[in-house]
Amino acid sequence: MTPRTMSSMGVSLAGVGVLLVAGWFLLGLFNAAAISVLILALFFAVGGSSFSFLYSSLGVFSLAQPVFLAVGGYTAIYLATRYGISPWISLLIAPVIATVVALPIALAIVRAGTGPILGALVTLVIAEAVPPLLIAVQPLGGAVGLYAQVKQNPTLWQMQFVSGLPFARILLVLNVMIIAFVIWWRRSRFGHFDTAIKDAPYAASAIGIPTARMRVATFLISAMIAAPAGVIYAQYNLLTSADLFLGSTVLFQIVVVALAGGTARPWGPLVGSLAVVYLSQEASDLANGRSGIGPLTFAAIFAVMAFVMPTGISGTWEKLLHWTAIRRGFRRGSPAEQDDSPPTPESAGSSRKMPA
Amino acid sequence: MYAAQLIVLGLITGAVLSLIGVGFTIVIGVGKIANFAQGAFVGLGMYMGYWANVHLGWSPYLTVLPGLVLFGICGWIVAELFESRGRNSGAIGELLVGLALLLLITGLLSVSFGENAVTLPAASYGAVSVANLHIPVSELIAAGFTFSVAAGIYLFMRWSRWGRALRAVAENPRAAGLYGIRVPIARRVAVLVSIVLAGVTGIMISPFSVLTPEVGTTFLLTAFAVVIIGGIANTVGAVAAGLAIGLADSFAAGYLSSVWTTLAPLILILLFLLIRPVKVQI
Repeated sequence: MTPRTMSSMGVSLAGVGVLLVAGWFLLGLFNAAAISVLILALFFAVGGSSFSFLYSSLGVFSLAQPVFLAVGGYTAIYLATRYGISPWISLLIAPVIATVVALPIALAIVRAGTGPILGALVTLVIAEAVPPLLIAVQPLGGAVGLYAQVKQNPTLWQMQFVSGLPFARILLVLNVMIIAFVIWWRRSRFGHFDTAIKDAPYAASAIGIPTARMRVATFLISAMIAAPAGVIYAQYNLLTSADLFLGSTVLFQIVVVALAGGTARPWGPLVGSLAVVYLSQEASDLANGRSGIGPLTFAAIFAVMAFVMPTGISGTWEKLLHWTAIRRGFRRGSPAEQDDSPPTPESAGSSRKMPA
Repeated sequence: MYAAQLIVLGLITGAVLSLIGVGFTIVIGVGKIANFAQGAFVGLGMYMGYWANVHLGWSPYLTVLPGLVLFGICGWIVAELFESRGRNSGAIGELLVGLALLLLITGLLSVSFGENAVTLPAASYGAVSVANLHIPVSELIAAGFTFSVAAGIYLFMRWSRWGRALRAVAENPRAAGLYGIRVPIARRVAVLVSIVLAGVTGIMISPFSVLTPEVGTTFLLTAFAVVIIGGIANTVGAVAAGLAIGLADSFAAGYLSSVWTTLAPLILILLFLLIRPVKVQI
């Protein structure tokens, strides 16, 4: 990394630090109902970040990310109920299991080809295959799922709290860590490898970049990113089930939040998730919770993405910055402000020193 | 005898799946578009048959002709959407249009008919017994329809001037364009044909199907399985793959637990992708 890149990364990481501190205190200002909505938004933001990381790095449009969220949820509740293992330990174990689950999927995608449409279809197949498998495995609770043992006196170690606020803060920390990681990744050697693979796979291979290995590794990292959020969300709900993590709404909500936020900036999924979850809640309230409103809201957001704002909120923000920079440059370069422009009598008098 | 019954039911299911797959394989092959709403249009056709039966007292088969017109119009509009997005945003734009349509149709069906599964109330058209095999007439009609339409599409693609143009675009769009074939028109026709096929198939299978708003995703996956196993833009391959999946589905349901009925086509897709990767870049 060049000193300039490091300095730019330092500014970005400082911004992430500010986001963490501000978010931590702001969360304390909300009531219980708002916190439950924010938990949902922060949970989907992690899923969206996982999707966005993969999509922006390699152009893989993965619909299998909810599977890795489910891995986290099932790991936490299964280990806690069966072996009494703390969910905090599960936060470390779940990414490892997610990696194991993700490996065959990554190999299938790499083998299937690199096109986004084929990738989307293959991962949709996987996302649809997992719920019946989970339901068929009896130790995982079948269709009902697994319930956590509710403690009379919840402790921090058991990750059971009397209010939702601690869960919201844990999810905020997770989101901030992911944003910081993505900032580092994009500026690292590996991030540049991914960009090369996405833009010119044959050229990348020709200059010695291990394209297949990098594709698989990036997919595995995206799975690792998602799994801890599943742990926290399962602990918040005190249950895990195929429907909670792999319902069709969850499947599309992750893609919607990632694309609405945009993949141009690491914070895109977080902003997208806050906007999408808020819109979904409002639409559901307006329709008195009528069935089918969720898919219609997502369809409307997809339509907006397809026709109005294909780069999402962060992409539009980036375009705005670019446009502002061009305008500023144009102004700076305009005849009135150029150094070689003919001096006015005032400017000549003020800026030029008469020889002694 | 039980195995023979399973074979017959599997072939009937396979015939239906193959027609959905034929539409999907044409749109992927010619248009290089994966219409994610392909299965949703099957669901729309099913609910159209259901609505006509429940509210107008019509046989679902009477809605085939209005359905052809309706799905033709829908197909043309969707084809225009895909073309405009393809030009402006590439494959991702098309993908978003497909996902938006899938969710739009699923949401509208949920709002209009509720989320619970429904079946046609007066859908019994009797059954025929051949060599001690019990075959429902509605399923025989659907299988006969799908086989004849699939044969018609094969003949159209093989021998007609338009069919040859579509195959040329599927093979090499740039070269086809240089030979004077209008590639954007061919892409639109592919989308239109696939949507009409999906909708009409939905109407034909509505008398013996369980209808849920989310049925579109299931049919999308089946159509994808047919394409992966049968080969892209290969009508005969799609029919053969549809029949194979139908048989696998039927035997899984007959001899294994119900979970394998869902998993059978999905496992087949993954195995085929690992053994024989897709050569077309989509």
